[in-house]
Amino acid sequence: MNIAPPSGDTPEKTHLRIGFVALSDAAPLVAAKVLEFGHRHGLTLELCRQPSWAAVRDKLLSGEIDCAHALYGLVYGIELGIGGPRDAMAVLMVLNRNGQAVTLSTQLARALDEQGSLKAALATLGRPPVFAQTFPTGTHALWLYYWLAAQGVHPREDIESVVIPPPQMVDALERGLLDGFCAGEPWHAVAESRGAGETVVATSQIWPNHPEKVLACRSEFAQRYPATARALVRTMLEACRWVDAPEHRDDISAWLAKSDALDVPRELIAPRLTGRDGGKRFARPPLPVAFFDGGAVNYPRVAEGRWFLAQYRRWGLLRESDALAKDDEAIAERINRTALYRDAAAMVDVPAPSSDETPTEVFCDGAVWR
Amino acid sequence: MLRILLVTDTDKPIGELREALARLGYDMLPEAAAPHTLQKVVERERPDVVIIDTESPSRDTLEHLAVMNETAPRPVLMFSHDANQALIRSAVDAGVTAYTAEGLSPEKLAPVLEVALARFAHEEKLRQRLAKAERELDDRKTIDRAKRLLMERGKLSEHDAYATLRKRAMDAGVRLADIARRVIDAADSSR
Repeated sequence: MNIAPPSGDTPEKTHLRIGFVALSDAAPLVAAKVLEFGHRHGLTLELCRQPSWAAVRDKLLSGEIDCAHALYGLVYGIELGIGGPRDAMAVLMVLNRNGQAVTLSTQLARALDEQGSLKAALATLGRPPVFAQTFPTGTHALWLYYWLAAQGVHPREDIESVVIPPPQMVDALERGLLDGFCAGEPWHAVAESRGAGETVVATSQIWPNHPEKVLACRSEFAQRYPATARALVRTMLEACRWVDAPEHRDDISAWLAKSDALDVPRELIAPRLTGRDGGKRFARPPLPVAFFDGGAVNYPRVAEGRWFLAQYRRWGLLRESDALAKDDEAIAERINRTALYRDAAAMVDVPAPSSDETPTEVFCDGAVWR
Repeated sequence: MLRILLVTDTDKPIGELREALARLGYDMLPEAAAPHTLQKVVERERPDVVIIDTESPSRDTLEHLAVMNETAPRPVLMFSHDANQALIRSAVDAGVTAYTAEGLSPEKLAPVLEVALARFAHEEKLRQRLAKAERELDDRKTIDRAKRLLMERGKLSEHDAYATLRKRAMDAGVRLADIARRVIDAADSSR
């Protein structure tokens, strides 16, 4: 096997510590490590499992990890310093689309069936509903808020929004501390298997093919080690391509099931990772998680970055008075390293879109984002 | 007086800071461990500082409070663009971090964090020393067992058995304890 980088694009830094959070969509990182996809590009990857998104952020900023599997919104939150430290960040590529969901408690799911609308179902509780998500500026918060708002429920006024670590969501649901939650898999499959709740909507039904986790690093890292960043994008593109092949998703489920990754039985991971099953309320499973799709998954579109900024404004996380946040297009262009991505993708023959135009997807409320 | 909340939901002995900080005159609030009670306790008690293990899964709960609620404690790493990069790095290394009420200056926080850091640096050193001692004891037991095996089976003197082990270790370029383990494994599997 030829171990030299195919292009002669020799990485400046060859040993990389990569942070990840134990979720089904960490699959490309786990595959990249198990099969050592990095070696061909001159990289050794060291996976560092993190207990929280706050830990991912702090360790990126302190340099303890070089890059991370991160919530799209987490990266934008750091760039803008929303509720925490501010630092210039980079999104090198999108690692997956779709694959998240909202689960309601069994009681609330039944009320939804009886009442016919979420608003009416929530009214049957006779108290403010409690919904959990995973990080204030993260994707799950925004999918949840968008979905609630589309049904006339104001996420800042009509519900109590809390953050609970995903592995503890099901427990909280069972104990009646929660009425619903939005998070990644396999926690929705776990909730259904324990009879604690029912998955009522997949995030691909809120925004079809929404970007979810990204490969993130500090801007300084991308500037200092550009060849390393390109090598890592090439490595992860190959890992995403491998994981996306249907015949490999069962293998990766077994690896994810291990105690040093998710520590959840494979039988609860595989059905939703392969898209065979989306939950018992779905006669036909909704659009499942996608990691590659011929490269269509991975290009870090600037317009998608702008969507996150627009949502932060919508929910009051970003104020007009914030001087740093004036030009959304410029912010998203600064964070999403489209040129670096194009260079890296071309080296491994992965097609990138000819323009930055976003494919037209219709959101759950009928809106279209461009 | 600063009101301090300790979150103790990992293995690290954050709770042991209670006494040290109380002695320094800080007002220590009752502990809150589980994430779903943490939000309620912070909202009710309004602590000035929350000290938590950097590896705690509950940290995202505090992050959410910091963003959604202006009166909630905010991550002390807010100060990262000011000055104290070294303090932050050592906080992350030592496994402790803090969230403080807005407007609380880094100078006021420094003694609190320093107590926490000193406590954990000490703890970590002890832990490493203990682990090393345990490993050495374990190695010595393994070597003794392998030596006895060679003595019984090869009818060797203690001195010769030891010399045999040492030669094999040097030839293989590994530690003596590793060779001893191989000898024991081979004897176990041939039994």
